[in-house]
Parts: sequence; C-alpha cells; structure tokens
Amino acid sequence: MTTKNKELTTQTNNAEVATITPATDIYESKDAVALYVDLPGVSKESLDIDVDQDILTIKGTISLSTPDNMQATYIDVQANTFERRFTLGDELDVNKIEAKLDQGALELTIPKLEQHKPKKIAINVA
Amino acid sequence: MISNMLRFPFSMLDNEINSLFYPEQNQGSARSTYVYPPINISTTDTKVDVYLFIAGMNPDDIELVIEKNMLSVSGQRKLPEVDQNSTVFRQERFEGRFKRVITLPETVDTDTTQATYKDGVLHISIDKRAEVQPRQIKISAQ
Repeated sequence: MTTKNKELTTQTNNAEVATITPATDIYESKDAVALYVDLPGVSKESLDIDVDQDILTIKGTISLSTPDNMQATYIDVQANTFERRFTLGDELDVNKIEAKLDQGALELTIPKLEQHKPKKIAINVA
Repeated sequence: MISNMLRFPFSMLDNEINSLFYPEQNQGSARSTYVYPPINISTTDTKVDVYLFIAGMNPDDIELVIEKNMLSVSGQRKLPEVDQNSTVFRQERFEGRFKRVITLPETVDTDTTQATYKDGVLHISIDKRAEVQPRQIKISAQ
C-alpha cells in the first residue's frame, strides 16, 4: 500500500483535541479522483468539507442520542470528532468537487482539469 | 463483557509487529487497528444502549440476534465497485463479513429491544427489567 502520488499524502493531524482519523479509500481514474471516507455517526449537518488552496479538510462530529447520566460501560470510539486532511494535486478541479453522504459513508469525487485528462490523438492515414 | 475483547491483546501485538516492518502505515488507520465494527456501550439506571459504528450499510444486510442474554450482530459489508483501471492510493475501509457478540447483563428485559440504523450507527436500546430499576418511594407525613 505505497502512495505513488506524493501529492495525495495525508497531512499530519496537529489538532489539540483528540480526533479520529477516518478510514479512507482513494482511487484515481482517468478523469477523477474518488475518496470514500467512513464517518459513522456523522450527519449531513455536522459534516464540514473545505478546500483551502490545495488542502482538503474533512471534519465531522458524531452526534449520538445518548441519555443523560449514562455510564460508559465499554468504549471503542473514544472521541466524537473525525478529522482528516489531504493535499490535492494541481491537476484536480477543486471547484467541481461532488460530495455524497449515505449512512455515514462519504463519497467525494474530484474531477481532473480538462487539460490534464488524457487525450487520444487520432492519426490520419495519409 | 465482550468476547472480542479477548482478541485485543493479539491485534495489538499485530500492530506492534506491523509498525516494525511498515512504520509508514502506523498512522491510526482503522482497518488493522480495530475489531470491526467498533462498539460503544452505555448504561443508565433504566436501560442499556449499544452503538455499533458500521457506515454505509443497508440495514437489511445486518443481522441482529438475541439468544438468552447474548446479543450478536453480524453482516457483510460490500464496498462500491471500482473501475479496474483505477489506481489505488489507499484502501483502509473494512470490507467483508463481520460479527460481534455482546453479553448483556442479566438485568435487561430483551423483549424491549429496539434497534435503529441512522447515519451509519446501529443503535440498540434495551430496557432493564422493572424490578431492578430504582424506584422512588413516596413518604407520607402523619
């Protein structure tokens, strides 16, 4: 699982509050990069996706309906915030990012800029 | 409390070994670190709440069974198909069959079990039996 594209590496998370790094799958096709991020417990309203220059930040808060005065009996998920950053390559068109959230699974599609898509050149037979 | 807890020492050892050989992978990615799916359990005087973090499922693909006081959740997680010509940069998300078994305390009334799946979290709520719930007794003045 080596990352060939240096520009798609994860930034170190310097947040002071404990956050969970969400499990992510990243695929690159001819004309886009697709990110699939697991954010269980995050609703559309508590999810923030933003791009600052070439840094894509995904941040979501887990909102569970927990009763008051409850006692934690067993805990695997210890924080209530997911956060992860990615550096985007300049071949990607950040103005055309599409996001879809379905039952805590986020799908982000980032198309490549037209000039970076592979082109097939027709060869004319003389 | 949870049978899978027994597996934790070994998965931790796994991670130790992995981090020796693949230090760059030791970034807290979820695939190798956790038994899937992660669970939180909270208890109050009146009920027990179990939360399973299973994103992107169809609830029909999750099986929930209570037998005596063993609650078991199993299912199969399929990820969307990806074009074969794609380049893979990261593959951290869990895929495949999963099962977790939780031993419930004797004090719960499993007939009251309710389960809802929302935002990728399966929430199972079970009331405690009436006789173990705290009761407030009114004192009458004479």
